[in-house]
Amino acid sequence: MSNRERSIMSSFDFKKGSVQIGYSIMLLALLVLAVTMLYPFATTIFSSFKTNQEIFSFPPTLFPHQFQWSNYAEGFKYVDFIRPLWNTLILFGGNAVISLMIVSLAAFSLSQMKLPFRKGVTLFFMSTLMIPSATYMIPSFLNLQSLGLIDSYWAFWLPAGASAFNIMLLRSFFDGINKELFEAGRLDGASEIRCFYRLAVPMSIPVFSTLLIFSFTSTWNDWYWPSLVLTSPEKYPLASVVYRNIIQSFNLTWNVKFSVLTAIMVPPLLFFLFFQKNIMHGLNLSGVKG
Amino acid sequence: MSTQAARVKERHTVHPLIKKTRDYFWGILFLLPALIVFCLFLWTPIAKGVMYSFMHVDFIKGNEFIGLSNYREVLANSALGISIWNTIYYMLLCVLFGFWVPSIVSIAISELRRFQGAMRLIVYLPHIVPAVVLYGMWQWLYDPLGPANQIASWFGNHQFMWLTDKSIAMISIVIAETWQAFGGATLIYLAGIVGISKDLYEAAEIDGAGVLQRIRHITIPGIRHLYVLMFILQLISTSQGFMTHMALTGGGPNNATLTYMYQIINEAFTNLNFGRASAMGVLMFLVLTSLSIVLYHFQGRSKEA
Repeated sequence: MSNRERSIMSSFDFKKGSVQIGYSIMLLALLVLAVTMLYPFATTIFSSFKTNQEIFSFPPTLFPHQFQWSNYAEGFKYVDFIRPLWNTLILFGGNAVISLMIVSLAAFSLSQMKLPFRKGVTLFFMSTLMIPSATYMIPSFLNLQSLGLIDSYWAFWLPAGASAFNIMLLRSFFDGINKELFEAGRLDGASEIRCFYRLAVPMSIPVFSTLLIFSFTSTWNDWYWPSLVLTSPEKYPLASVVYRNIIQSFNLTWNVKFSVLTAIMVPPLLFFLFFQKNIMHGLNLSGVKG
Repeated sequence: MSTQAARVKERHTVHPLIKKTRDYFWGILFLLPALIVFCLFLWTPIAKGVMYSFMHVDFIKGNEFIGLSNYREVLANSALGISIWNTIYYMLLCVLFGFWVPSIVSIAISELRRFQGAMRLIVYLPHIVPAVVLYGMWQWLYDPLGPANQIASWFGNHQFMWLTDKSIAMISIVIAETWQAFGGATLIYLAGIVGISKDLYEAAEIDGAGVLQRIRHITIPGIRHLYVLMFILQLISTSQGFMTHMALTGGGPNNATLTYMYQIINEAFTNLNFGRASAMGVLMFLVLTSLSIVLYHFQGRSKEA
């Protein structure tokens, strides 16, 4: 105990009775919290294997009596999985490439290069954060319409670069790199482009991966805007298809619904568990910089 | 060395204007894509939104300037009061459930001696669930024959119509959203708490401060800047909430969960009155901006004190 770092309480506090009682109550509360957090996952996943009778059985069961895999086969009749998945990946790929390029170039320029009106330009980007999306959501739709981008993936790829938050995040990262590194590069005859992609980009791989993760989750989650901008359902990403065919449907049985929900919940969960370190790092980054 | 000296000399001899353009050329070039995209996809819609709010938008006959009558119609609409009240109620509930819970939970987690990593993970897990899965899950949990009512039956025979009872539909929505969202806030608070110097606690303990006093006088002031930040972020995001309402209740029962943003969407895509929808958007902007100016002032004052 002595060699660990203390937190609010020291090991000395634990000798007091009142602290012990308080601490156990706290542990109990956290346990309850953990159960509430995990229970919806458990029902969704386990119910996807149950028969519909078992879901409504009383007293309720958590584990299925027998695994009914046919729920999944049934579910995929309503959501043809492959095509929407492919659409989602195309959307994500374009979003990631274009937004990373636009955002990182701008952030590098703001942070490390000679610029006129730097304050004005920064304000031009950052003030968009102050404007609620309610103000420009409808006009944005009309704007895409007049640009002829309705029903095209460009309507997602290009605006993905217009993210003041990402510029802010990357800029604060670039600010942390020593300016002399780039000065040295320039003195050795490296062009600005070379400085950018041979020095800045390799150094910011961790931040890039954080941004990629954010972009993946938002693309995977977004169901409303795609269903508005894309007019042909065969271009829909997975989330929009599921919303249309599963959430809004009233004649599907619960076990079939759960099978589809489980199927689209698992990839982001695996993704998260896999990239957990980077995601937590990114959260800290955004939390500190605000 | 000699080439460097030559370059410095050369720099001094060129015309200042040429030198300036040469110096700035790459910086501006790097910035250009972002400038274009921001103009095209953020500033144009914002400007158009203000413009449309004074117009009757018609795709066939063309737009027509009609002055303030969009605003007049919006303010005369009887559903406006309902939706504003619902939005405020929704924001209040979100603050009530979602604002204090994360900070308390984060303090509790920071005190865990074992399983701290696991607990962080568990709390954050719902954050990863895609929105559509969240809707499906909670549709089931709130089903009249579903788990929420089964739990309620442990405490008495009362059964709730979670999503179709006018008085509790909004609360149900907020509980579902809080379940998903509070893990993210918890981790941000945790990052702040970890950053507080341990020496402060040590000193306070030697001076005889109890555990609760330490939390009150060291931990909470230590993350106060995060409180302000999270509060503002929460106000901004909840003031525009509509998706969960749309998915779980469709704005009903009897408009009980119709939020302001939801009404904008309805105005635009159900009534196809884009001018009125834009006017509502501009009103929203005015209210939120003045609100954040007021908040900002308060924050500045409390720092001086």
